[in-house]
Parts: sequence; C-alpha cells; structure tokens
Amino acid sequence: MTGQHRRRRRFSYVWGVLVAALVAVTFGAGAEAPAAATSYQRISGEGSSWAANFLDAVRVNVKQFGITVDYNPNGSTAGRGDYLKGLVDFAASDIPFQFNPEDGTEPERPEAGTYAYMPVVAGGTAFMYNLKIGGKQVTNLRLSGENVARIFTGAITTWNDPAIQADNPGIILPARTVVPVVRADGSGSTAQFSLWMIKTHPEIWNDYCNRSGRAPKCGETSFYPTISGMIAQSGDLGVAGYISQSFAEGAIGYVNYSYALGNNFPVAKVLNNAGYYTEPTPQNVAVSLLQAKINTDSSNPAVYLTQNLDEVYSDSDPRNYQLSSYSYLILPTTVAGQFSEDKGFTLGAFAYYAMCQAQQQSASLGYSPMPINLVEAGFEQIRKIPGVAVQDIDVAKCNNPTFSSDGSNRLADTAPQPQGCDQQGFPTQCPDGTGGMSNVPTAVLVPVVVPNNGGNNPGSATQTPSGDRNQPAANSPGAATDPNASTGDPSAAPDPNAAGGANAGAASPAANTPAGNTPTGAATQGPASQTGANPGASPSGATPGAATNDPAAATGNPDSATPNVTTPGAATPAAESPQTCDADTGLCGTGAQTNAGTSAGQTPAAAAGVGPATSSVLPDTGGWGISLTMMILVIVLTLGLIFAPALAWRHFANVRPA
Amino acid sequence: MTSTLLADDPMMGLAPLPDPLFDRPDVHGVPMSSPAPSATIVPRRPPVSSPAQQRRAIRGWARNDVMMLSGALLSALSTTVLLFGRITPLSGQFGFAVVGFVVFLATYAVILSVTENRPAVIDRVVTVLLVGAALVAVIAVTSVVFFTLWRGKDALWRPNTYTSDMSQTGPNEGLDKGGIGHAIVGTLIVIALALVLTVPLGVACAVYLNEKATRVAGFVRTVVTAMTALPSIVAGLLILSTWIIILHHEYSGLAAAFAVSIVMLPIIIRAADVVLRLVPGNMREAAAALGAPQWRTVWHVVLPTARSGLTTSVILGVARGIGETAPVLLTAGFTNSINVDPLKGNMVTLPLTAYNLIKSPLPSQVARGFAAAAVLILLVLILFIIARVLGGRPVGQLSKRQARRAAARSLRDLARCEAHGRIAGVAVSSEVAS
Amino acid sequence: MTNAITTTLPRVADPGTSAPAARDLDSKRGFGDKVFDRMTSASGLAVLAIMLAVGLFLAIEARQALSKAGWSFFTTAQWETGRGTFGISAILLGTVLIAIVAVTVATPISLGAALFITEVAPTWVRSTMIALVDLMAAVPSVVYGLWGLKLLQGQVVGVSRWLNTWFGWIPIFKVNGADPKNPLTNATVFTASVFVAGLVVAMMVMPIACVVMRQVFSQVPVGEREGAFALGSTRWGMIRVVALPFGRGGIIGGTMLGLGRALGETIAVVLIISPRNTITAHVLEAGTNSVSALIATRYNEESGLGLSGLFAAGLVLFGITLFINFTASWFISRSRSGASSEA
Repeated sequence: MTGQHRRRRRFSYVWGVLVAALVAVTFGAGAEAPAAATSYQRISGEGSSWAANFLDAVRVNVKQFGITVDYNPNGSTAGRGDYLKGLVDFAASDIPFQFNPEDGTEPERPEAGTYAYMPVVAGGTAFMYNLKIGGKQVTNLRLSGENVARIFTGAITTWNDPAIQADNPGIILPARTVVPVVRADGSGSTAQFSLWMIKTHPEIWNDYCNRSGRAPKCGETSFYPTISGMIAQSGDLGVAGYISQSFAEGAIGYVNYSYALGNNFPVAKVLNNAGYYTEPTPQNVAVSLLQAKINTDSSNPAVYLTQNLDEVYSDSDPRNYQLSSYSYLILPTTVAGQFSEDKGFTLGAFAYYAMCQAQQQSASLGYSPMPINLVEAGFEQIRKIPGVAVQDIDVAKCNNPTFSSDGSNRLADTAPQPQGCDQQGFPTQCPDGTGGMSNVPTAVLVPVVVPNNGGNNPGSATQTPSGDRNQPAANSPGAATDPNASTGDPSAAPDPNAAGGANAGAASPAANTPAGNTPTGAATQGPASQTGANPGASPSGATPGAATNDPAAATGNPDSATPNVTTPGAATPAAESPQTCDADTGLCGTGAQTNAGTSAGQTPAAAAGVGPATSSVLPDTGGWGISLTMMILVIVLTLGLIFAPALAWRHFANVRPA
Repeated sequence: MTSTLLADDPMMGLAPLPDPLFDRPDVHGVPMSSPAPSATIVPRRPPVSSPAQQRRAIRGWARNDVMMLSGALLSALSTTVLLFGRITPLSGQFGFAVVGFVVFLATYAVILSVTENRPAVIDRVVTVLLVGAALVAVIAVTSVVFFTLWRGKDALWRPNTYTSDMSQTGPNEGLDKGGIGHAIVGTLIVIALALVLTVPLGVACAVYLNEKATRVAGFVRTVVTAMTALPSIVAGLLILSTWIIILHHEYSGLAAAFAVSIVMLPIIIRAADVVLRLVPGNMREAAAALGAPQWRTVWHVVLPTARSGLTTSVILGVARGIGETAPVLLTAGFTNSINVDPLKGNMVTLPLTAYNLIKSPLPSQVARGFAAAAVLILLVLILFIIARVLGGRPVGQLSKRQARRAAARSLRDLARCEAHGRIAGVAVSSEVAS
Repeated sequence: MTNAITTTLPRVADPGTSAPAARDLDSKRGFGDKVFDRMTSASGLAVLAIMLAVGLFLAIEARQALSKAGWSFFTTAQWETGRGTFGISAILLGTVLIAIVAVTVATPISLGAALFITEVAPTWVRSTMIALVDLMAAVPSVVYGLWGLKLLQGQVVGVSRWLNTWFGWIPIFKVNGADPKNPLTNATVFTASVFVAGLVVAMMVMPIACVVMRQVFSQVPVGEREGAFALGSTRWGMIRVVALPFGRGGIIGGTMLGLGRALGETIAVVLIISPRNTITAHVLEAGTNSVSALIATRYNEESGLGLSGLFAAGLVLFGITLFINFTASWFISRSRSGASSEA
C-alpha cells in the first residue's frame, strides 16, 4: 500500500470521525435537557401581529430569567391553525376560535377542554396614514367612522373628497388618490375592523361585499376582500412598513396603535358618538373598554372571557375610541402532542409575567394596561396550564396603572377629555400631531373673521383660504381665534389639564373671544358657546395649540401678524404671490398650505435632476418656448461638430493623386 | 514576329516557339518539330522602389473606430441630459440609462453609416448591443451584491451582529445590541444535516447511474431529472404535511434539513452524474484490463479522477441549499434565539431571517436583514470561489503539481519493481520511456 | 532500446488427449463486486423510492381538493376553501404572467450575454464573464427579492408610469386608478405588480438561460465558423448564419429552463406582490398572485380541505414545470449541439 493510499485512508478516517462528531453533537444536544422540573424549556407561540409588539417586549424581558420564547407573528388565523395542529405551545389571537365563521372559511373545531382564553393586552386599531400637503407630512387628519368605512370599501377615492374635507376644516387636502392598505393574511385586526364596520355601518359593508365578489358570505371576516386600487400586505408589520415608504403617499391602513408609535407615523383621529375625534391612546382605550362586556360563564371555555364590543361601539363618552379591543392568549390545558408539563411550567411563568409585570410597560408601547378584574381572571386561567407553578400574586405589586385602591380603573378615571378643537363642528381642528408624530404639529387654517364681530383680533384677519374650496367651517363668521393662543407649546400631546380651561399665556385675549364674538349662533366656534357638548370641560375657545396660524405664510402680510407666534414645523414662507397653484399638490390659492413658490420651484428642479425619482408625481412639462429652440440649436450644432470632421476627412481622403 | 518582352533577350529572340496546334504535319505540311527544350523566361520588370511598409494592425481598434465610438457616446450623453432636463418630462436613473442607450445606438449607427457600408454598420451596432447585454448582466449582479453590502454595512461591521441573537433585543433598539447569530448557527446546522443526508446518497446514486446501464438505471435517471422540476415550496409543503403534521413532529431544524435535502438531492445527483460521465472510458477499460473488479475501478480510478468535479458539484449544491428560503419557511418555524438542537424547537436560517426582518419599517431591523443577506452572499461567494479553485480542471487533466506527484509515484513504483525483480531474478530496465 | 525483460512462461502439464472444455466466458463477479452491486442498486432504488414517494404523496394529498372541486379548480378565481369554491385560475394566470414577463426580459439579455462571451469578448473578459454569470446563478433568491423590493421597485415605478402613459391604450398596460393626465397619480398603483415581480424573477432566469446558451454556442463547429469568415462575412453575419441556427435548440431549451425556474420562484414574488385573486391581465397594476406565493402565505392558515387545495395547486405547478423541463431537454438534445450539455 503506497503512502498516498495510507494518507488517503487516514484522511477518510478523520473525515468520518468529524462527520460522526457533528452528527453526535447535533443529535446529542437535544438529549442534554435537564430532568429537573424547575428548569425552563423553550416554548413557541404563534399568532396575532396586532399584539406582537407587546408579546415581543414580554419575550425580551423574560429572557433574563432564562425563559426562551419563540413568538411568530404570522397572524391570528395562522396562530389558531397551528395551535389546532399541535405545532405550537400557545397561540395569540385577537378573536376566539371561529366555530361558525361568516366569511366562508372552514370552521375551527378545537377539542373541548383543551384550551383556555386569557386576555393579555388591550389596545386600539388605528388608521396609520402617509399624506403630505405641500411637501410636509400631515399629522392631524380626522375621519368620521363613515368616512373610514367608505375609504376602506373604495367608495372614497381621493383625499380631497368633500366628505373628508368636511372632517378636516383646518387643512386643505390634496387631490391625491387614497390607497387603502389592508391585511393580506388571516388577521385578527381585519376581523375586529370588519366587525366594527358591520355593527356601525352595515349598509356600506354589504354594498362592498357585493362589489368585491364575496357576497353573500360577508360577515365578520379575517380575510379582507380586496378590490382594484387596494394594496394588501402580510402582517401589521407589513402594512406599517408599506405605508411608511416614501412612494406610498396617500396610503392609509389599519394597524395596532403601537406600530404607528414605533414607526413615527401619525394616525387618523376617528369620530366617536360624542362628536369628538379621538385616537387610541392608552387612556382612551381604557375608557372605551370599560364598556366591553366580558363573558363570565366559566363553565364554557369556548366563550369564557371573550369580549362583546357592541357597547364600546355605541358608547358616548367623549374619550371613547370605538375600535378598542382586547387580544388573547390561547393557553393549552392538556398535555398533548409536543406540549409537556415542563413546557407548561415555562408557559405559566411567561403568562404570569405578561399579566402582571409587563402591563406597566404596555402603555409606553402603545397598548393599554389590563384592568384588575381581567388580570385576576387571567391568573385563574393560568392555573389551568398543566405543570404550572401556581403563583399567588398580590396584584398590587404589579404596578399596573389601572389599579386603584377602590377597584376602579384609575387610568380610565384620569383619562383627559379631548380638546375642544377635536370636536366635530369646530371651525378648524387641532394642529397637534397624533400617533408617532405627536410632537409634529400641522399648521391649520384659521377661519375668517367677520368684521361685525367686536374686532378683537387684529392679527388674524388675513387668513383667508381664498381658493374657495370646501371650507364650510372655516368660513363661519365670528369664529375668530386668537393668534396669541399658540404661545403654549404645540408639541404636547393633548394636555390633560388644558381642558380644564387653563390657557397658559392666552389669558385675556382668549377670554374675550368666545364670549363676545359670536354674533350668530351658527358659528360653531368654541365649545363654550354650545351647551351640553362638553361634559366636564369648558375649554375657552382658544385652546393652546389651536389655530397656530403661520403669520409668515399669510401671504401678502408677513409682518402684520402678531410677532411672537411660534409655529414650529409650520409651512415655511415662500413666494408672496397671491394666487399661485402648487404643482405638487394641485392646490391653488393662498393660505398656510400652499407653498406655491417653493414647491413650484422644487418640482421642475426635481424633474430636471438626473437623480432617483423620489417625488412620486410626474412633474409638469414646460411649454415650447425659446429655451427649447435654443436647446435644439445646440444639439444640432453639437452633432454637426461631430460629423463635420468625418465628412471632411472622407471628402478629402477620396481625392487620389492623379 | 513582333518584338515583345521576350524579344528583349538576345538569346531567345528568333526561334519561333513550337505551337502544338498548328504544327501538325497533315495540316500545314510542315513537319511537327519536336518541342524545343523550353526555358522559362522571367519577365523583367522595372525595378520598383517599394516604400517601407507599415506594419498593419490586424487586431484591436483603429483610431477611427475609437473616435467614432467616443463621439457617439459623448453626443448621446449630452442629448440625453438635454432631453431629461429640458425637453421631456422624464425622470429617474433608469429612464436616463435606457434613453441614453437608445440615443447612443442611433447616433452610433448614423456616424458609422457615414463611412462604412451597411453590413459593417449592422455588425458594429450588433456588437454594441451584445456588449450592452453583457453590461446589463454585470451591472445587475454587481448592483445586487453592492446594494446588499451597502444597506447592511451599519450592522456588518459590528461583531455583535455575528455573535448575538435577537432574544434580548427589542426591535426598536439600535444596532449595537442584537444580531443574527442565531440565523448563522441555524444555517450551518441545517446545511450540515442536509449534506449528511444528500451527499453520500447522491454520489452513490450517480455512481449507480454511471456504472449500471440497465433500464432501471435509465428510469431512475429520468425520475431524477423530473424531480429537479419540483418547486422548492412544494418540497417544504410535503415535509410539513408528512413529517410535521401527520407524524406529529414539531417545527425544527431537522424538518428543514429534510425539506432542503429533497430540493438538493436531484441537483447533486445530476451534477455528479455529469462529472462521472466525463471520466474517459479508456481509463475504466485500462483498469479492467489490469484485472480490477468493478468496485476497485470505481474506487481507485473513477472517483479520484472525478474528485475535483464531484467536489465542485457538491459545493454548488450546498450553495443552492443555503439559499433556499421557501422550504425552510414552511418547516422550521420562527425564533429569535440561538437554537443548537435540530430536533426540538424552531430554527431560523439566514434567508429566513432576512425575509422576516426586511419587512419591518424600522431602519435597524432592515439593516440587520440586509446584514443577513450580505452574510449569505459572502458565504455563497466563498463556496463559489472554493468550487472554482478546486474544480477548475477538466476531468483527467492534472495540474503541474499533480503531474509531478504522479511522476514521483511512478518512479517509486519503478524502484519497487526493480527491487522486486532483483529478488526474483528478473532483470528490469531502468530506462523508462518518458 | 535494449530489451532486457524476458518473460518466462510457466510450464504447463501436457494437456493430454481430452478435448478442451468450452470456456465459460462470463466472468464471475467477485464478492466485492457483489457488495458493490447491492450497495449501488440500493442507493439507486432508495433515491427512486424517495422521488416516487414524493410524487405519490403529492398526488394523494391533492386528491381531496381536486375531487371536491373538480374542473372548477381551474376556472374559479377565488380561494375560499370554507365555502368549497376555490380555484387557481387567477393565481395560475398571475404565475404565468410573471413568468412571461421574466422570460421576455431575460431572454434577449441572456442571448446577448452568451453571444458576447463566446464571440465578442477577449479571453480575459471571457473567463470573468463566465464566472460572473455563474455567480449570478448562485446568488440566493431572497437576496434578489430584497434588492427588488428596496431598490428596483422605486426605479421601475417610473418605467411603469411611462409605459402606462404612452402605451396605456394596449390592454395589458392599462392600469385602473392611474390616469396618465393626472399628475397626482400615486406611485403605489404601480408597485407590487406583475411587472416588478417579473423583472426580479428575470434576474434569476437570466443566468440559467445564459449558461445553457453559452455552452451551446461554444460548441459551434469551428470549421463552419471560419468558413463564414473566409467568405467575407462580418461577425454578425457569422452569428446569424452559423451560430444562431446551430444553437437554436439551446436557445429555446435554455429559455424554457429559465421559464421553469421562473414559475417556481417563491420568495422574491412574495416580497414584492400584494396578493389579489382576480383575473386581470394588467401587468403594470398592483395586485396579483402566484401559486408559490399562495402556498407560502397560506400554509399555516389552512388545514384539511384548504391544505389539500394548496397541495393541488402545488401539483399543478409541478406538472407544468415538469412538462416545460422535459420539453427543454428535448429541444436541447435535438439540436445539433447534442446531449452533451448539462441540461
């Protein structure tokens, strides 16, 4: 045997040993799980992306205790499906098992006694949107429920539709197409959204059903029916991701509020039954969910602790946000398939943490902490997990913001009332940003001052949206507000104390306006002039932050407005030509929203740039003019310069000596 | 006879040359004279002074060509800039490139047609088109690679990207925490398992296809060819429904390895089959003539000869298997923590992590996703380079080093034979025909 | 040359008068060979068993859905397994459209690149280009999907818009919701479309087709090639007259192989498209679906009949890809370049 042969055999021995070692390590690694029941096993869960931000935060936090949780935010339907197949240890779902689905999907038939629902987080389904006016992001959009339903059923197709404009008297919306972004996968968010639509605007939903080809099976559905013009994405994360892209101007979608916070995007305020536009802040959600009916029939696990939100939809608290809901964990109560008691031990610890300590951080994420009755009910459910180490938790130690000594929901009790400018019918709207852009206000129009008013507002007379667009509220006479009112910081989220009437810095002039300047009662100027529309709050007309008009953008009168108005983030002053049309937004007129000069100057330049097309608008073409003629001449000259030497060469080279 | 050039030579001037046509005796009564011994008269030419000839360049570009090309390029560039800037409402890099290319083609054709004829113009324009097509391919692949590296660079240079997982990092946190270590470990484990499953079986099956020329072998080959058409997602779906749902296992790295193996196996078999087929038949016959049984032939001749090709095909199969996302998506679940146990618990691989992270709107997550994709590309690139280095030679040809070693082996064998021969009393020549 | 080796034959016994027996010409296979036979047969049969089991199981799983839906599986556009009306007509149409776009874009480029490599490129460029094309084939599809989603889509929106503006009168370039005269048309209506997905898939189809075509073109007989040059043809003339007819089989075969790959492409398509199950041939408009994207998004939401439906869709896709691959092999082997290419 030659040396080379020997070497080769040695080499193959080594190779074989390596392969064997690799196989042994990988297969042996599994066998080393300690037998002691007090060690944590890896558990896996799947389900709702609506609740995913909260559950991911819990997962990260329990890692320090040695608990490893794999959570896959594939959507509630996928979570329930894989739970039924025994592929995951627990599921997270916004809706319970669908025994009789109304949308034509297959019914889910879990075995009785094998699961328990545990509400783990509360939050609101918010409408995140991406809209720009004059190149600036809009952050204070308001929508009535009907408009929301019509947008997401394709009945409203442009942002400057009169219905949307009626909700937004303070901004001039562009004529941009509305692009609804919906969930492509089986989603609990979709189910909650469709349920709300069915209960509050059934005729719009049924009409959409027919148009989208889903009829007659069109009840509450986890799979949103789509029509042309809608975009569908997987997961709340996908929807949020799509909306936040730079070319997605005009897009609006429904996601959990935490996604808008996390991605720094605004959400639309939705009109509630009390006539106020609200967003699903933790406090508002807590207030809204006081009306949720939780099933207390503990003998029937199929319905125990499930929610009925009908009264949330019909609640008339001004802080109510209709699309608030709870989301659940589906916990196994039997040992089956891959679930063992060791895993139950881990799952129990995880669930205890989620119900207790984790609730104090849910507000910072954008969710709402659970009320005490549900926390205690949750603890009871956790006991049913096989292998759990039952903990006797003193709920007071949970630091849950909703807990109070008398058992009422402290968070809901201390929830601030909405601002006056958030009321429907207010001549303009709040400039404060919402969602993840709550610190970025949007300049709003100040309505016209009618001269027979007591004339208390010298500085604001120049604000006229002269474009004669649909500005019903803005033209209401006497609805003058004081430009000085904005000396408060516009950057605060609705200040809980503002409603109490303390207008910092807007004392005396503001006090004048509401009382004295409403000659015609039709001016829905401030809540003070209306009776009964503001329970518990009497904000004087000019709440801080309202109507921060931008004096410099009051075209034509840059200096006559009051000097110390600071409008961070408001429209930058540009050309002072009175009647210019914005090439970007298509708006014509003066006012804070038309940066006619800058944007008209920008867009052709952007088109001239050879760089990437970041503007999603086709720039306007220039006319055939003298510059064009010059350019053609230059081209001809250049070509001639290139061809002339060649032609000359050829001509002269063809001459041969005789 | 009139004087021609011939007559300049005094030696030959007067004697008429015999003309076979007219010198027949019965035609003109002139006896056919025997042909005179002919001598070749070289015409004398006036001395021509030839100018020193320039060496012609046969290959390469003439100055004319270069000028025409660059002129067309410049003109196209300026025209396109004008078109984009002033005349038409076009925008974007892509549109600029396309319009510029079209204008360049037109300009070049026009310039060429001034001096060249039609076939030459068409030929040159087509050459430009071919170069353009190749450039498109080059630009595409370099754009893909560099874009991925560029977008992931924020995460790539940090060591924590490679060593830590996302189990203790929330999505909003910066890039200094968390990483894709769990995906790297998962990829290595899944691909190692898939290799163990497919390579022995695949190479053995390729040997079977090559050594046995039966109908069954032909059928197997057809089936293997058919199986390369299996979409990878269907392979994942199969493992999901059989191994995971029906047999009640869990989402695990092993299931992912099975799914990837189903995709990799036909590819490896076919590639190995091609390589083994390239082993020259006369080597097999030489081994048979020397009395080797078939298994020895395969083990000592065929496989070593094809070793570099086999390695290449295995490595390319691995590169393909690493990049498979769809089968792993369906069978391995999802996790954020490192998992070294392929039997229990979810596992992620690099492509799966990239797919999940890239959908997030948060810039740090997107950077991590691109980092995962960049690591994937680098892995594939390294494997690819190894494959080319190892398998660069056609089957049977030896590199210089290998030839030297083969010669050294032969000399050692000769010495052994001589020694053996001296013992047996047989004289062995020490002259070896080289 | 001295002949120093002498061979001494062994002495054999006198054979005697018995007639020589007929020799058995069949060689007996030794023990090692028998083991070798068993092992290789076992591996071959194991592979055969695995492959057949895969195919068989696919058919079994799909049977439930196919028997429930019958032929309406190919004519229904919705996917509502709970109601029992589900079908892949829209989904298959989307798959085919994406593949057609991909092949339409990739074939000229790969043909051009293959001709460049074999005809135009100098030697040093040739080896680099070959390596580059092979690398392009090795890059994972998820990377192409990322590149397409984050880089290409933004660029292609402009192209889509231009196509819609100038060629919107052709039905396939029409886009609902995009008015060419409206400067405020959103870019979103041009994203997530068949066109963008097709372009990304084209990047994956191109190297496969290019490799096959290159191999075929490199086998053009040198005599014919040089004969064309000798007769005074230009390079393009030689290509047109000699190389292209010779490589016809390879061109078609390579294209069809690429088509097969394009049909089965999953991740890049999933990343880009916005799923919608309606029959529409608007390639520039957002909203389409493909079989592999359907499976990838619905696999854990479906069970029972739904899962069987997914299998049925996968089976149909497998059948189509199989047919295309076999046709491609047939074309390639029928061409003059013969069956010696790897396809």
